[in-house]
Amino acid sequence: MRVLKADDAVSLFMTGGSARIDADVPPKFKAGDDVVARNINPTGHTRLPRYLRGKRGTIHKVHGVFGLPDTMAHGQGETPQNVYSVRFTAQEVWGATASAHDSLYIDLWDDYLDPV
Amino acid sequence: MGGMHGMGPIDAETDEPIFHADWERRMFALWMAAFACGIYDDNEFRHAIERIAPADYLTTSYYEHWLIAMERVMVKKGQFDGADLQAAWGQVNKGAA
Repeated sequence: MRVLKADDAVSLFMTGGSARIDADVPPKFKAGDDVVARNINPTGHTRLPRYLRGKRGTIHKVHGVFGLPDTMAHGQGETPQNVYSVRFTAQEVWGATASAHDSLYIDLWDDYLDPV
Repeated sequence: MGGMHGMGPIDAETDEPIFHADWERRMFALWMAAFACGIYDDNEFRHAIERIAPADYLTTSYYEHWLIAMERVMVKKGQFDGADLQAAWGQVNKGAA
């Protein structure tokens, strides 16, 4: 087992660590692409919020390759894939009475998205 | 809460401390140490928090979620067993009495 020494703890917490995976996985989308969040309802872990399922958004930024929480949470491997910052308008998510000026930017994995 | 209504206003504290009690500070340190040692993956830990029964989740604090999930994950990982945990809580409760 790895050991975290007290002397190393402060520098670790100040600099943090990245969960980025060094794997050559081509992204399915590019900035500006329109996408729809999949309507999946897994019994296990997922980082796709319920309130986004079936909603349409736009790729804002490609973050790079990360492990998929849905498999990692259950010891089923990293499933490396691209993660994106995706923009959803407040009205798309919460309806016509929501602010017309606000948007939600949220990080979503390739497996959560379909092209429109 | 994901756009859910009915939870009341957010209680924004002025000059909110990083920790509200010393045990929260220890909880944070314990989490980081166990994570850095590779005992669990953060996704696994999040899932343990999600498995807290909804009524318990809504009536416990942020770091209590960590504590409940930590106990379950550590038992699952064989770091200690349910009897150890019960004995430890017995000591805590005796101290409190």
